[in-house]
Amino acid sequence: MGKVKIKNLKKSFGELEVLKDINLEVREREVICIIGPSGSGKSTLLRCINALEVATSGMVEVDGNDITGATDKDINKYRQNIGMVFQQFNLFPHMTVLENISFAPVTLKLKTKQEANEKALKLLRRVDLEEKANVYPEQLSGGQQQRVAIARALAMDPDVMLFDEPTSALDPEMVGEVLNVMKKLAKEGMTMIVVTHEMGFAREVADRVIFIDDGFIVEEGPPQELFGAPKNERTINFLNMVL
Amino acid sequence: MSIPELVVQNWSRLLAGLAMTVELTIISLIIAGMLGLLFGLLSVSKKKSLRAIALVYVDIVRGTPLLVQAFFIYFGIPAALGIRLDANTAGIITLSLNAGGYLAEIFRGGIESINKGQMEAARSLGLPYSLAMTKVILPQAVRTMTPALINQCIITLKDTSILSIIGIQELTQTGRLIIANNYQAFEMWTIVAVMYFVIIMILTKISKRIERKMSYGKSEN
Repeated sequence: MGKVKIKNLKKSFGELEVLKDINLEVREREVICIIGPSGSGKSTLLRCINALEVATSGMVEVDGNDITGATDKDINKYRQNIGMVFQQFNLFPHMTVLENISFAPVTLKLKTKQEANEKALKLLRRVDLEEKANVYPEQLSGGQQQRVAIARALAMDPDVMLFDEPTSALDPEMVGEVLNVMKKLAKEGMTMIVVTHEMGFAREVADRVIFIDDGFIVEEGPPQELFGAPKNERTINFLNMVL
Repeated sequence: MSIPELVVQNWSRLLAGLAMTVELTIISLIIAGMLGLLFGLLSVSKKKSLRAIALVYVDIVRGTPLLVQAFFIYFGIPAALGIRLDANTAGIITLSLNAGGYLAEIFRGGIESINKGQMEAARSLGLPYSLAMTKVILPQAVRTMTPALINQCIITLKDTSILSIIGIQELTQTGRLIIANNYQAFEMWTIVAVMYFVIIMILTKISKRIERKMSYGKSEN
């Protein structure tokens, strides 16, 4: 599982139309990187997938569930299946690292406290932070916090992971450790949609790169094609600026 | 009579007055806390109608003097409804509604001070709004609100003295009644003021300690 289907998606904030007509299908186990200039609508697109933003029109389907037309209760249910990692980590500062990770499964009564804690420790091992289980987020570096945030999302056993510029708020020396965790995840077959400015990561890990500008998908293709031989003039201009 | 002599002579009455003051404060603050939380939550609701209800309540509380509120509840409402309300009940209702309005604003401010990424992170994990609010937002909000909450407790304690006007025998009223007998206004008001001062200082000290304990990551050290 982990299919995402987006059809004729439009999103406006008041007068401002941010997404104009987005059509995208993501296959199971596929890794998609979304690139584009700031203000192009990349983050909004990502946030529409788990209904943090309510689409103005169009449809978003995750694993066959239409999230755009769902009731609040169903949306809560669908979200359990869609992990999200934020630019600003958004760890819960009043909980320890372990509590951050086991919090949702326990609170939603999906796991007992003991099961959730065992799973949390396993996930911490996966992101190489086992020794930090009992500290509070403020005692961690940005890179460590983001790795905990990834573990927290994985604790719900999601079929799809959304990453909203996960390394943009990090000091340069910490970008690598977060990207490594994401690479591992991609290798294990997680369906991932990553909004990023890390072109190296997109080139290396993505199955498909999507270039968004001005609310449209301007160009998409495998990284070798999109980076190696971009066709659209706007893509070429953008890549000239960032590479 | 000197101040120490007056204290000794009137000690049991003064203590009873102080006890009434503290009792009114505690009962009112408990009710006000519930009102404040309820209306604070309404005021951050996505529904405009719920926000409007909270706004009207807070505006009425803030827009009228406490004394007028007390008179309205003690004299006004019983007159209109043809009922009798004893002074203590009227006093507790007045203080609860009054402090509730201010606490609603404190709760609103506390909730709004929490980065909206916290709510989004909780919701993205599949938590419904109610659980995200009670388990993620409110625990953090209450921490930031602590100084303002303590401040409101002290204000409410002092506001009980206004209720002496409707005949509640709290500390201020007790002082007035004693002076009516012995005419020693200077000495008696000094004693009463010192008693208020001491109890508020004790509260302040306790709350400072709570505040320190509540900062993150230090609860285990």
